[in-house]
Amino acid sequence: MGSEQTRSDGEIVRSVLAGDIDHYGLLVRRYSDRYARYAAAMLGSRDAAEDAVQDALVRAYDQLAQCRDPENFAGWFFLILRNRCFAEHRRQQSQARSMETRDEAIAGPERADSAVEVAELRQTIGRALQLLTPEQREVFVLKHVEELSYEDIAARIGASVASLKMRMHRAYDRLRDELKELA
Amino acid sequence: MTEHYHPRVKQLMDGELSLSELPPELRAEGEAALRWLATVDRTPIVLSSNLDERVMAKVRSRLPARTRVLDLRRRIRPWVLGAVAAAAAVLLMTLPRESRVRVPVVAIARAPVHVRFVLYAPGAGRVAVAGTFNQWNADAAPLAPTRRPGLWTATLPLSPGQHQYAFLVDGRRWVSDPTAPTVDDGFGRRNSVVAVNPQTERGRGL
Repeated sequence: MGSEQTRSDGEIVRSVLAGDIDHYGLLVRRYSDRYARYAAAMLGSRDAAEDAVQDALVRAYDQLAQCRDPENFAGWFFLILRNRCFAEHRRQQSQARSMETRDEAIAGPERADSAVEVAELRQTIGRALQLLTPEQREVFVLKHVEELSYEDIAARIGASVASLKMRMHRAYDRLRDELKELA
Repeated sequence: MTEHYHPRVKQLMDGELSLSELPPELRAEGEAALRWLATVDRTPIVLSSNLDERVMAKVRSRLPARTRVLDLRRRIRPWVLGAVAAAAAVLLMTLPRESRVRVPVVAIARAPVHVRFVLYAPGAGRVAVAGTFNQWNADAAPLAPTRRPGLWTATLPLSPGQHQYAFLVDGRRWVSDPTAPTVDDGFGRRNSVVAVNPQTERGRGL
């Protein structure tokens, strides 16, 4: 057994499954922030991301025995968080939440002086991202926010590079339109 | 009306071309695209410092992880029937035209089993099925329209185990399978469930 930092994810998962529940805290500390930016971009706000990450971490604990490759806990947890983000989108659709509410939710903090223009454009891009389909938004976020290659994204979410590119290219066109509208 | 980026500009945005590789007439478009792409917010998000305490408080209030999974299996089992896929297909053929029905296909096998998903969705332009078996990829498993108007179908190989899924109609509307059992997805929605049981489970009265 190594120290907290050197213990592998697989060791920790096996330890938790053996009954050392508190060891799950090591995984929580290790991964609570890792995909927060992805969740925030997918859901449109930091608060929504926090709820999603919290739910996904609890969910991952509930399903821990189903983690087939404990050494790849990170990839498995990402898929649970991803499922949570898509479920949130479905819930928002079914509740027909108003765009006004969404606009408010995705408004970021105000910024000062010389950065105003960039901050405004960022907010506009953030707003435009929320108008994409979740599938388009996800590939955009993974490539241009998380800066993963198409190949890495394909491996992570189980899609082909060709289908990812198709989604992305549609997203580019849609964003171009939306940015023009929102500017 | 949507204005499309030129395909070579999209390659530029993908990082597969440099600006100098674009023909001169596309450079202004390419520069504008790169400008807004560079502005995308990549600031790391740090969540509340007490998030781990909140998660662990919830975790400690639950059953041990391994116990929970066994308990879940016990709860889901009763709906599992020992039917084979062929029987399901026969039943499907007898369904009335109007029914929005897909039969929950349950097979006993070690190897992947081909399971037929059916949804009656009149007026739909496209239907797909996404679930744990394809990482909820909405593009991975489109259903094909059948001769019966409004009836869509797809046959997919499923490995032994329980699979959660939902249909996506017209890329926008998530629909659970009207006749399959459902489970809470943990986030306030219901996912449909289909099970393919490993051969070793035979005879346990599932």
